[in-house]
Amino acid sequence: MDKKENKKNDSGSKKSMNRRDFIRLGFQAAAFVSIASVSGYLVKKSMDEDLVWQIDPYKCTQCGRCATSCVLNPSAVKCVHIYIMCGYCNLCSGYFVPNVKELNTGAENLLCPTKALKRSYIEKHYYKYDIDRELCIGCAKCVKGCSSFGNGSLHLQIIRDLCKKCNQCSIAKVCPSGAFKQISASKAYLLKSGWKG
Amino acid sequence: MSDRKSYKKWFFLAVGAIAILYLVFFVIWFSRNPASNFVESVPGMDKPLPGVDNVQSENVKIGESFQRFSDETSGLKNTWNCFRGANHDNILKTDIHINEDWKTKKPKIAWSADMGEGYAAASVYAGFVYVLDYDEKLKADALRCLSLTTGKEIWRRWYKVRMKKNHGVSRTIPAVTDKYIVTLGPRCHVMCLDRPTGNLLWTLNLEKEFNTEAPFWYTGQCPLIDNDVAVIAPGGKSLMIGIDCKTGKQLWETPNKRNLKMSHSSIIPMTIEGKRMYVYGAIGGLAGISAEGDDAGKILWEFSSSAPSVVAPSAVYLNKGKILFTAGYGAGSAVIRIGKKNDTFEATLVQKLTPSTGIASEQQTPVFYNGLLYCILPKDAGALHNQFVCYNPDDCSKPVWSSGKTKRFGLGPYLVINDKFLILNDDGELTLIKASSTGYSQIAQVKIIDGQDAWGPMAFADGYLIIRDLKKMYGIDLR
Repeated sequence: MDKKENKKNDSGSKKSMNRRDFIRLGFQAAAFVSIASVSGYLVKKSMDEDLVWQIDPYKCTQCGRCATSCVLNPSAVKCVHIYIMCGYCNLCSGYFVPNVKELNTGAENLLCPTKALKRSYIEKHYYKYDIDRELCIGCAKCVKGCSSFGNGSLHLQIIRDLCKKCNQCSIAKVCPSGAFKQISASKAYLLKSGWKG
Repeated sequence: MSDRKSYKKWFFLAVGAIAILYLVFFVIWFSRNPASNFVESVPGMDKPLPGVDNVQSENVKIGESFQRFSDETSGLKNTWNCFRGANHDNILKTDIHINEDWKTKKPKIAWSADMGEGYAAASVYAGFVYVLDYDEKLKADALRCLSLTTGKEIWRRWYKVRMKKNHGVSRTIPAVTDKYIVTLGPRCHVMCLDRPTGNLLWTLNLEKEFNTEAPFWYTGQCPLIDNDVAVIAPGGKSLMIGIDCKTGKQLWETPNKRNLKMSHSSIIPMTIEGKRMYVYGAIGGLAGISAEGDDAGKILWEFSSSAPSVVAPSAVYLNKGKILFTAGYGAGSAVIRIGKKNDTFEATLVQKLTPSTGIASEQQTPVFYNGLLYCILPKDAGALHNQFVCYNPDDCSKPVWSSGKTKRFGLGPYLVINDKFLILNDDGELTLIKASSTGYSQIAQVKIIDGQDAWGPMAFADGYLIIRDLKKMYGIDLR
């Protein structure tokens, strides 16, 4: 008797999985998978690091577009100085105009159009060069001079606390050398490595 | 009617009020100085504060110490006895076979020797290499005599002088003859030695005795020995001096009325219009000084229309009385012609060029070979930057040929051996090319050393090419 009832119950349960139940179950499963996927994606995204735009100093050709193409005015691109690479020279090709006649601070001798690059005397033949970030417009004139004849210790970077983090950086769109790239926000800067000498 | 009058009255009142308002604004705007918060950029803003200048004055005992390490002798005969070799042109003809098949037989590094940071290069005399090194441990300029075949140090004469690295320290090449060696140290200390023994003959401190201002990046002038006379350009109170190597007696002196300063360039002897002269590119201009006869030391001509703030390459004699004077850091070049008029020499400008419009060199002196000028252009030379370029001296603005955008070089040296150019790149890559008048023709290329700033001029003798990078000197067997 019990066996018969059990068989009846079994056959009854099989009967209950009709088409409607099957579709309902399918939708439930699909909904579960979707929720799980979206949740997983969101969790993964939240664990991923933010990407930020930055300039590769070894690719930069100092074309000057960083000064004019940024959505900000003045640009979020500024010159940075890697002091360990600097020669602290009296004749600094990033500071003075090419073929300068007098190595002094007269405006006609200076390369920087905004006087953002300043120098201070250390001792005979040695000067320290600093950048006034407030004045720097990212024109790269000093970078070009430093790269042409000096150690290349001056180079451009996007300053993180100024950058508006546009999805598509407007300077990157016009950069002729592809020097702009997205890097992890935790890295933030692409600074030149130190001098080997 | 009265309404109309009233309307007119109010209209004129309103217009008058607006006009007065504008006038007030205009007066305020006009009287305000828009540059009130500008800061003038005038000379002297980078001067030291009183008491900050701590230039060390020290009593340098030039040539005070001598050490002999071995009694090695040599049976070799060939020489490369000064900057740019015996003929001051970086060109050598030799019977020694030079292997050009570097794929099957790479040039061999026969030896290497540690050096203080710098670019001081070698002279070679009969199997011995002479280099004025800066010993960073001893804190001393050291004239080192090395074996050409093994690189072992045979003797050294040195003197303590405190130096700080300023893109390296050492930069000059000794002048060597059978009897004498003359050196010029980074801080303008001159030493003359008896070559076979290394005994000190005489010394000079140019800063103290001639008020010489050592150039930034230290002295780059390589001394000259001409008929046993040491020829040096101190700047300061004398533009040039000639000193008897044997006695140390000053034979002649060129007054420096125009206050030309010592550059990194070296004195090059030339013969123009039958007159032998010393040509020197100082800071402030180029000058030709009589090198012979009763008027030895007399200024024959001067040229100051091109006066770069820094000069490293030396003057190059071209042809037909023409001289190339070039410099880096944006200065470019000047081709000048030296002519004679009523027994007086005159310098006239033939062609002036910027790095982007013609020949220019930052550090190395271009080579004039078989009627053509060869040069590696600087970084600011536009599309031709860092290319090895050949020019016709009749027009130094149009290259005859260039090495192309895939063959670029650095600031390293180049010389001619048996109709072939050897070019050393900054990182130690050696290239052999034909000294062709028609195009760049590379024979071989090999990374010979793992170097950095291999800028010191090369020397060649008895099959050995002497090269250096920032910290080491190498003897390369090219046979």
